Amino acid sequence: MKQDVNGVRIHIATGGRDFNPKGKILVMLHGSGQNHLTFVLQARYLAHRGYDVLAPDFPGHGLSEGEPLASIEDSADWVIALLDIMGVETATIMGHSQGCLTALELAANHKSRIDELILIGAAMAIPVNDYLVDMSDKALAKAIKMMTSWGHGPSAHMVDNTQPGHSMLDYGRQVMDINNRAALLADLNACNAYQNGASAAAAITQPTLCILGGRDRMTPAKFGRKMADTITGSKMVMVDQAGHFLPAECPMVINDSVREFLGK
Amino acid sequence: MSGDYKFDTLSLHAGHVPDERHGSRAVPIHQTTSYVFKDSEHAAALYNMEIGGHLYTRISNPTVAVLEQRVAALDRGVAATCTASGMAALTTAIMTICSSGDHIVASSRMYGANINLLENTLPRFGITATFVAPDDLDAIKAAIQPNTKIVFGEVIGNPGLDVMDVAAVAAITKEAGVPLMLDCTFNTPWLLRPIELGANIIIHSLTKWMGGHGIAIGGAVVDGGNFDWGQSDKFPTIAGPHYAMNDINFYEEFGPAAFTAKFRAEGMYNFGPSMAPMNAFHILQGIETLPLRMQRHMDNTAAMLKFLDGHEAVEWVRHPMLPSHPSHELVKKMLPKGAGSIIVFGLKGGREAGKAFIESVDLASHLANVGDAKTLVIHPASTTHSHISAEAMLEGGLSDDMIRLSVGLEDIDDITADFEQGFKAAARVRKG
Repeated sequence: MKQDVNGVRIHIATGGRDFNPKGKILVMLHGSGQNHLTFVLQARYLAHRGYDVLAPDFPGHGLSEGEPLASIEDSADWVIALLDIMGVETATIMGHSQGCLTALELAANHKSRIDELILIGAAMAIPVNDYLVDMSDKALAKAIKMMTSWGHGPSAHMVDNTQPGHSMLDYGRQVMDINNRAALLADLNACNAYQNGASAAAAITQPTLCILGGRDRMTPAKFGRKMADTITGSKMVMVDQAGHFLPAECPMVINDSVREFLGK
Repeated sequence: MSGDYKFDTLSLHAGHVPDERHGSRAVPIHQTTSYVFKDSEHAAALYNMEIGGHLYTRISNPTVAVLEQRVAALDRGVAATCTASGMAALTTAIMTICSSGDHIVASSRMYGANINLLENTLPRFGITATFVAPDDLDAIKAAIQPNTKIVFGEVIGNPGLDVMDVAAVAAITKEAGVPLMLDCTFNTPWLLRPIELGANIIIHSLTKWMGGHGIAIGGAVVDGGNFDWGQSDKFPTIAGPHYAMNDINFYEEFGPAAFTAKFRAEGMYNFGPSMAPMNAFHILQGIETLPLRMQRHMDNTAAMLKFLDGHEAVEWVRHPMLPSHPSHELVKKMLPKGAGSIIVFGLKGGREAGKAFIESVDLASHLANVGDAKTLVIHPASTTHSHISAEAMLEGGLSDDMIRLSVGLEDIDDITADFEQGFKAAARVRKG
């Protein structure tokens, strides 16, 4: 569906179902240089299992218009604006990678609006090396290739897939290539600049589920564990052989874990 | 893993990770029609395209999926779908994109069945084609109409060996907002990966070099994932609510794999052009050695060109690696590893000499296939095109004296010796 948010036309995947703002809302926030297609194997599945899904493309990403947002704090404010426009009072936030930083910020600062958190491929800080930042500015195709290569675990590199005939690496590259040319650089800069992750995590009181990949080289599991330890009462699922792109690499682990965590 | 695996490694491994229970190193043959659902919810999720998996072998199969993923990886596509033959791949790909009233711009120098499909069969269903020379960029551009939905050609034409400038044609189709679909049977991904040059959909007859053994028929459609189906309202069954799939919008739901999602959900489901699991297994065995075989094909082809070019029994030789070929300069840049292992040549003495040559060779097999590990020859004028007039053959770029040679992997000395005795038989006919 299309929706204007702060005057910008936004694309929101709802998993192929009409959206009910009074339902059990599950907002899926994509990571750096990604878009709603991160959750291609979660959005439809969970939307047909009792959840009302909103998987937006942030501005400048996927099928959304506009320019990418500059900071994690801006992204959190933008999600609140989205919830307001959609008539949503409270929601569960499910983030992946950079989307988790936004989720931490939301949960800590908008407690009355956020019911639960699901953090996938996450850490309290996601510093990005200068080489990748520079490449995302000057050689975007190379940066995309590097990120998809580093981001996926061993089975993706062997072109194994739960979706018959699909290559996760090449699909991942094309997903990133859809975005505004400035999106990846803006996202990486936003990740680098965000310093509130640890304090936000410590302030979280909502039930939280962390799903981590044992072979994740972008947000290594040791940092994910630290985040889980910081969030009071959080639960953790570790997928030993998964890399950073867990929604594609182990879709049913995500789907089953989310349903068990949310009790549906 | 510090980076992406390279071509030779992917040829051996892509698509298959040994399962935890049995650990089979070879790809298992899942000779089954159906798959047991875990529960009703699992079945519903599969049918509704919410998750990946298998529900019926007409639509997908684990052994075939390994082959699909291997081909996708070699071509750098987002996905591939395998079919019962190369023609099934082409037909289903066209039907995935086109509806009645749509138009295709196609190369006039292609495999006869490709031409026949577009010229005679599809018009019965309201899909028409304009044929243009594959190396005439202006003609390709001029032939694109408002209802054109595909530009289609072969990278290396069969049997005339005309070569398409993929990057130049891709620039034209991108500007026109039309996908470029290429039959890549003659080049295989070892020689060229046209998706990297801007092509959008790749068709393979896997029966040929990809399998290489001549024991299994199969085809594949590779989705480059690099065409924006939503950029216009030209593709409403991909980028709009689908009439028969609960209003699913493949473009919004599956993004770069929208074409493949529709190909499988509609094409495999309704047309049923499925590849047999056993054939997938056979073709996988061939692909494991594709890099080794292709190098040998290229080496033997280079040697045969040297042997044929200037031979006293030979009137002319055509191959893109020869400086006399009109696309030779393009080929040096676009196909640096070689331009395929098909050579066409004319024998002095015309049709009768050609027939005598074909019937006297012992090692080379006289048959209709190409791309086998074994050397193959055919004389189109006395066989595949025997019912066509000499004038009509010339219009199609074929001549009365033409021999099509598919260079195999035998010792080159044995191939040339076989040809020498064939040439002697042709000479006897020529001299009467």
